[in-house]
Amino acid sequence: MTAGAEAARSEPARSEPAPARASEHLDGSAAVRVRDLTVAFPTPDGPLPAVSSVSLDLVRGQITGLVGESGSGKSTLALTLLNAVSDPGRVTSGSVTIDGVGDVLALHGKSLRRVRGASIGYVFQASQNSLNPLKPVGKQVLDLGRSHGVADLRGLLREARSLLDDMGMNAERVLASYQHELSGGMRQRVGIALALVLNAHLVILDEPTTALDMLTQASVLEIIRKVHARRHLTTLIISHDIGVIGDLADRIAVMYAGRIVEDGPTRQVLASPRHPYTRGLLTAMPRIAGDIGQAQPLPGRPPDLTSIPRAGCVFRPRCPLATDACGQAEPPVTERGDQRFACFVAAGEAS
Amino acid sequence: MIEIRELTKTFAGRGGMLGRSAVPALRGVDVTIPDRGAVSLIGESGCGKTTLGRILCGLEPFDGGDIIIDGQSLRALKPKDRVRYFRRVQMIHQDPYSALNPTRTIGQILADPLALRARQRDADRDWERSRRAELLELVGLDPDYVLPRYPHMLSGGMRQRVVIARALTVDPEVLVADEAVSMIDVSLRLGILQLLGDLRAKVGVSVLFITHDVATARYIGDGGELYVIYRGMVIEQGQTDTIIHRPAHPYTQSLMSAIPVLRGIENPGPDAVMPTGPLDERVESPGCLFEPRCPFAAADCAAAVPRLSQLGGTEQQHACLYPERRSVVAVPFAGSAT
Repeated sequence: MTAGAEAARSEPARSEPAPARASEHLDGSAAVRVRDLTVAFPTPDGPLPAVSSVSLDLVRGQITGLVGESGSGKSTLALTLLNAVSDPGRVTSGSVTIDGVGDVLALHGKSLRRVRGASIGYVFQASQNSLNPLKPVGKQVLDLGRSHGVADLRGLLREARSLLDDMGMNAERVLASYQHELSGGMRQRVGIALALVLNAHLVILDEPTTALDMLTQASVLEIIRKVHARRHLTTLIISHDIGVIGDLADRIAVMYAGRIVEDGPTRQVLASPRHPYTRGLLTAMPRIAGDIGQAQPLPGRPPDLTSIPRAGCVFRPRCPLATDACGQAEPPVTERGDQRFACFVAAGEAS
Repeated sequence: MIEIRELTKTFAGRGGMLGRSAVPALRGVDVTIPDRGAVSLIGESGCGKTTLGRILCGLEPFDGGDIIIDGQSLRALKPKDRVRYFRRVQMIHQDPYSALNPTRTIGQILADPLALRARQRDADRDWERSRRAELLELVGLDPDYVLPRYPHMLSGGMRQRVVIARALTVDPEVLVADEAVSMIDVSLRLGILQLLGDLRAKVGVSVLFITHDVATARYIGDGGELYVIYRGMVIEQGQTDTIIHRPAHPYTQSLMSAIPVLRGIENPGPDAVMPTGPLDERVESPGCLFEPRCPFAAADCAAAVPRLSQLGGTEQQHACLYPERRSVVAVPFAGSAT
């Protein structure tokens, strides 16, 4: 296993997509399967779930967008894909199966470290500030290679150069630069390059455009789109901004209070949102087009770990459609074609 | 009314191989903030919009030009006499998480500026207390709930409302809201924007709204004016809706093109405009500052700085020699429910 993984890493074969691979990610099978995942954090009131019984597929070759407000559990969910939930949080149930890796939650120690970076690339929130200020970017690429036991460091630098070139940057200059010599948008692109340089085929981007201004955001989104397509990645992008997700993602999953309340193909979910939270988010969003008068803020506030309702639907306190039934039990997931949602009222509506 | 005339500000740069390089942040900016008005400044980071807001609040001195508050020129005053004019302009900061002292309750946070105000108006303790409750209600908070609480016990949206209430304690004429909703949860942003719009009508305050997110500028009430700032110069100015839907300057058009499009409910505008390269602040040009990045630049664009005008018969003022109508804003699907 060790030797095999070693060989796979030093082989830059993945950058040359074979025709067989192309059909492989058109078949729509999931590259990542999250099943019934619960992550709990201890609180004075006992352990409370930040992520609660979440099931989600990341379709191979597609961009999945995970949208939710702060405290909705979206970053915690994404970190479980790396098996990196930080103490004192604990995965209390469920599994995360990644193609070519297996159940990530069963890995630890060396085997886990090997998977991180080599199979799964993670671009952290505020990754523009997560570079080492004391070393030029090129040295950090080499550090990454050494810590993963890459034999061909020259090949690694070549790979980094081609990635940076792809993103429209002067690769030589960037590799020789310290982080303070790069702009916010450039640092973000370097973060993406570092996540991909070991040939990860699954990449997770946590709030990749937050704190960037409009033009930089547009160019970073374009780069993600391009790199995703060119390298045949499976991409998970996390954002609080439904606009960003709506622009970029093929599929969207809406998270609220640790649950995925709705998911499906982006066009379908945005055109006919089923869950009242998704509807509310869209109506509450300041938009450039359309009638200002129709915009309405969502009432109430997003819950934190301690204020999530313990029984019934978690969105009930803010929901304009709530009925008595919503207080009794958590709504099960209803499937309508490719779209899934967890709402009693919407389930009763005609499709 | 506040008039900002030909305002200039240059920051002394640090280092550089050829010694200190000066960074012009504002290159002669004119902005008029009418009473009860809503003026939005938009532009990329580093364009000078935040500097303008800080100068107006008295947090930063200006180099040239003048600020005229109700007919009084600040240029004519000594710096220490300017202070009481700057009181009329209050800042709403971007980050409500760091704008409030975490060791003091909301009641205590509001008490100090109100005590000062009470001394100025010879009012007593009762006035302070009732004013405090009044202000909290004005910003949509329940005084009984909020007053004894510490900032960490409130959501971002509630904290931003407290920050707004605190700014209102000194009866300002202008609220400068610098990216005031960018750190607020998405579902609560609209509420803060609408509050700023309501305050214009209810307490007669005007709002200077500084943002890079153009869409939010539409929501701070009717009759808003938009100024598009590029490298310290106003390059387009007019009614907010006119500029958003019929931008004349290629830079404004590129800003509108950069707004994410909601697939399934919107179609991207057919004429997307992208700058030809990234912003390079070291490149100075004798002509239009956007010329080096402009996809439509002509030979004479680099010759002289274009002035604001209505060239081409536009409704708004713009600084482009060759304004052309381009459809860059996303179009909602016909008959779409949302």
